[in-house]
Amino acid sequence: MPERTILLVEDNPADVTLTLRALKRANIANDLVVARDGVKALDYLFCTGHYSSRDINQLPVVVLLDLKLPKIDGIEVLKSLRNNTVTKHLPVVILTSSKEESDVTACYEFNCNSYVRKPVDFNQFAESVKQLGLYWLVLNEAPPQTK
Amino acid sequence: MPSNNEKEALGRMTAENASRNTGDGMQLEDTQRALINILDDFDIEKTKVEKANLMLQAKSGELNRANEELQKARNNLEVRVEERTAELQQRTLQLEAANRNLEASNKELESFSYSVSHDLRAPLRTMDGFSLALVEDYGDKLDSQAKGYLQYIRSSSQLMGQLIDDILNLSRITRAEIHLNRVDLSDLAREVVEELKRVQPERKVDFVITPEIKAYGDRGLLKLVFENLLGNAFKFTSKQPVARIEFGFTNCGDEPAYFVRDNGIGFDMTYAHKLFKPFQRLHRPEEFSGTGIGLASVQRIITRLGGRVWAEGEVGKGAIFYFTLRRS
Repeated sequence: MPERTILLVEDNPADVTLTLRALKRANIANDLVVARDGVKALDYLFCTGHYSSRDINQLPVVVLLDLKLPKIDGIEVLKSLRNNTVTKHLPVVILTSSKEESDVTACYEFNCNSYVRKPVDFNQFAESVKQLGLYWLVLNEAPPQTK
Repeated sequence: MPSNNEKEALGRMTAENASRNTGDGMQLEDTQRALINILDDFDIEKTKVEKANLMLQAKSGELNRANEELQKARNNLEVRVEERTAELQQRTLQLEAANRNLEASNKELESFSYSVSHDLRAPLRTMDGFSLALVEDYGDKLDSQAKGYLQYIRSSSQLMGQLIDDILNLSRITRAEIHLNRVDLSDLAREVVEELKRVQPERKVDFVITPEIKAYGDRGLLKLVFENLLGNAFKFTSKQPVARIEFGFTNCGDEPAYFVRDNGIGFDMTYAHKLFKPFQRLHRPEEFSGTGIGLASVQRIITRLGGRVWAEGEVGKGAIFYFTLRRS
């Protein structure tokens, strides 16, 4: 049974810790893989660079993608994912501080599946993460893997 | 022209001829008399022509002078038109420059908001999250005072998050494009009331909305005005056993003043001047929630729509908020 992983693309270590904490609180026992910038995220998904020995058919169930990232930012990552047949249908949830209309528009323009704003209040954040987990890991039908 | 002497000579000749001849002399006399008459007539006509000539000369002189005046006036006008055109061109250049400056400022403000949106919230989330983590993970090692300190950190971070949102909204209101239309204010008020009732269905409030009140403004911005004014009325009547909120209009001089009236907690008129300042509150946060940005937003919107907003209140009796709008 292939491991159902969640890929978290987030550069802020505090946010990583808090997201992990929220997932634990929601009893989401999946493997969480963390990519600390856009380049590492693409390396992981396309099995290049540091991840060249990874099996490309093992895609994560969902990608939680922050927008403000060093090197390649979130929107560029999203564009690259959508341009590649392997990751074209991979569920991507934008998880970010920003509520700027320009950001929301751009993300939907490049076909994100969902846009969730990270609240300041941790309890609210934990609740959001729990709902995301339940939805994308349990309720949602994942797209079939493209070979 | 026969002179008087010539006429005299002719007269003598005629008389001489008259005494010398009969028959032929008679004819000659007649002819001579006729000639004299003709000459007399000629004299009279000549005098008339001379007079007419003089008059024409005078008129001609007047006409010339009038022409000169006209020419002067025309030259004057041309000079003035040139001057005024130059002035207008100057002004246009100035306005274009000012416009470019404003556009640049606006762009800066937009990118500033963008940074604030992204960058200020993350540290607040960290402060809130890890204060809670301390309480959850190390609760047994912390006494209630320590837990209280951490709670202060949490609520401050959350409040700051809210303040950031409010400032961004306020700045967006100032920069938003206005689309002016005939708006049914009563309709808008009803919409907002429905939303309020949906959020708190357990509240029993008497809403009295005067129908068919129409005005000229931007519907989106006016909706924000109602959300704030009716929302406030809703909030500050929460302690009344029977809450009553009205929307109507009254005549203020020669223009209509629209108002939202409530029978809630009211306010002290001494502090009325602080009502519309950002983040100024007349009540404690534990009494009524809010950051104090709502009325500042209302004032900014109403000002942009060409009107004024003011309020009257009495502690314990309620408040009325009035606003006017620019007529089309």
